[in-house]
Amino acid sequence: MVTIKNKKPSHVFEVNDCAIITRMGGVGTAINLRELKERLISCSIDCLYYHFCETLIRPTFDNPEYRNDFALWSAYKLRDRVLAERLGIINPYSFDDLEGLRERVLEIIDERLSSLNYIPSVPKGDEFIFMRAATVVFDTGIVLHQPEDLFLKLPLMSRSTIYYHFMEARRRTQDRVDDFTFWIKFHPEKNQQIIEELAKIDFYFLNLNELKTVLIDTLKNIH
Amino acid sequence: MMKPKTLKDYKKIAGKIAISQLEQLSQNLKGAKVVHVNSTREGGGVAEILNWMISLMNDLGLNASWEVIEGNEKYFDVTKAFHNGMQGTPIRLTGEMIKNYEDTLNTNFKRLQPVLEEADFVFIHDPQPAAFLDMCPNRKGKWVWRCHIDSSNPSREVWKYLRSKVVNYDASIFSMPTFAQPLPHPQFVIAPSIDPLSEKNCEINKKEIKETLKKYNIPDNVPILTQVSRFDRFKDPLGVIEAFNELTKTIPAELVLAGGRATDDPEGQVVLEEVQKAAADNKHIHVLMLPSDAHRTINALQRASTIIIQKSIQEGFGLTVTEALLKEKPVIGGNVGGIKLQLHNYYTGFLVETPEGAALRIRELLHDNEKIKRMGRTAKQFVIENFLLTRHLREYLTLLVGLKCNLTNYVLTESKDFNS
Repeated sequence: MVTIKNKKPSHVFEVNDCAIITRMGGVGTAINLRELKERLISCSIDCLYYHFCETLIRPTFDNPEYRNDFALWSAYKLRDRVLAERLGIINPYSFDDLEGLRERVLEIIDERLSSLNYIPSVPKGDEFIFMRAATVVFDTGIVLHQPEDLFLKLPLMSRSTIYYHFMEARRRTQDRVDDFTFWIKFHPEKNQQIIEELAKIDFYFLNLNELKTVLIDTLKNIH
Repeated sequence: MMKPKTLKDYKKIAGKIAISQLEQLSQNLKGAKVVHVNSTREGGGVAEILNWMISLMNDLGLNASWEVIEGNEKYFDVTKAFHNGMQGTPIRLTGEMIKNYEDTLNTNFKRLQPVLEEADFVFIHDPQPAAFLDMCPNRKGKWVWRCHIDSSNPSREVWKYLRSKVVNYDASIFSMPTFAQPLPHPQFVIAPSIDPLSEKNCEINKKEIKETLKKYNIPDNVPILTQVSRFDRFKDPLGVIEAFNELTKTIPAELVLAGGRATDDPEGQVVLEEVQKAAADNKHIHVLMLPSDAHRTINALQRASTIIIQKSIQEGFGLTVTEALLKEKPVIGGNVGGIKLQLHNYYTGFLVETPEGAALRIRELLHDNEKIKRMGRTAKQFVIENFLLTRHLREYLTLLVGLKCNLTNYVLTESKDFNS
């Protein structure tokens, strides 16, 4: 887990970028729904983060039907659309912490298991594989001095920069806000509107290209 | 011979941001000694990856080098048995095989000892040099075992032996999560990639493509179907011929089976003879045994083709699929290994299980030229976004930074030279 909480706002905003390197989750695979539940109880919290949040910066084919891997596995491997929909609607950023998220996922799986008179399972080769990732954060050399600079520099930012400052930030900032909002709070004069508009973005169901466009449009409308 | 590429050369295709990320990441690794070891300098995907990776790592300020195991025929027979065993073939290892393997590596180790001991990072590719770690107690760097093979269901006997050789590495890398085997150290997942500017993938003109077809007497008045791969049972060239025979009952076409011989693959000749025998009575099947440096020929053949086939029954990643997708060709591929990661039915190609399935999908595509074009465009974009060497290199650099910081989950970097 990330430990750099309680960061104080600063006058300047140093734009960072990040890269992740995916690794095995350290728990066994799950061949049926009961095993998935058992593994979810014991897996590292980083596995939950990976399968719910880091799905966005992994190489993918296109917009998947669901944003988290548990919902995708339920839909395409277990062929349980009911479970997939219930898991698919979960927004991981709406929980106080990832343990809360774990609890909710387990609750949904428990409910599903108790409503079925069989245990849904998959053939060998389609097991759920638990993964996690290590994140390396690095400096891009871009520095923002005023909130207006954000509008100017956003088009230059990579997808992973957007991910790092707008989404990943929420697991390390005190109020679980994005880094831009955290910084702009230090420049409150006439920037309250930016903070409010950023807070309105329903970001979890956007991919990073879409999020970048929404951010640029939001700031454009304010300026 | 093409001149070595620099990062700048990739800006146009990979984008400015991708290059800038590599430069920023490498700020933390300047001067780091990185040694890669494998068993062949020519032939096969690993040698191709190492060719560009060494050059670009050095361009980024790292001190990267590439060492190759030297061995006799017996040694390569053993390592081929390891290779087949890791891909699921039942193998009986004898004491003599193990002795031959370890003796060869001991001899090689004496030659490479100073380089390996001094390296900050050592990447050992595949099983061939895996036992080096035990021979190097005075190593100062981090050692990573990089397994390129589909090891999802290895022969118990082979894996038992190899596991004992790789268990003490600091980390291992697999191409797909399904390939990973339980090991006590961190196991990373990095998909391989292709070099879009290499002779095998760069743009070439129509004249050169036509000349290549003429050279090998391949008519271009009907659709050309091509499978490029070593003559190896896991690539199922006989299954491809079966699919072609089924297809040409209704649609005329030409089939090209183009392959090379890798120095570490003693079985290739046997399989080639079987393929030649199966193709002997059919003038529309062209079996080409190409030299290992025939990259432009392969490039031309792929570009001349209407559809590319890669009907493997076992596959590591399947870089020939990636190459074809970059050239805007839909691919009919076996539903195995990394091919599954690259082919999405109706988007970039089709996954098939049988020769009949391959014939069916090829026939479907040959009836719809628009579909071929649309899938080709999607395929190219997919490769640019996910499987170019810039993404691959970024993941290696990320791993190196992670290893430097003892593999903590979250690393905030500071830009400074490696040894400072």
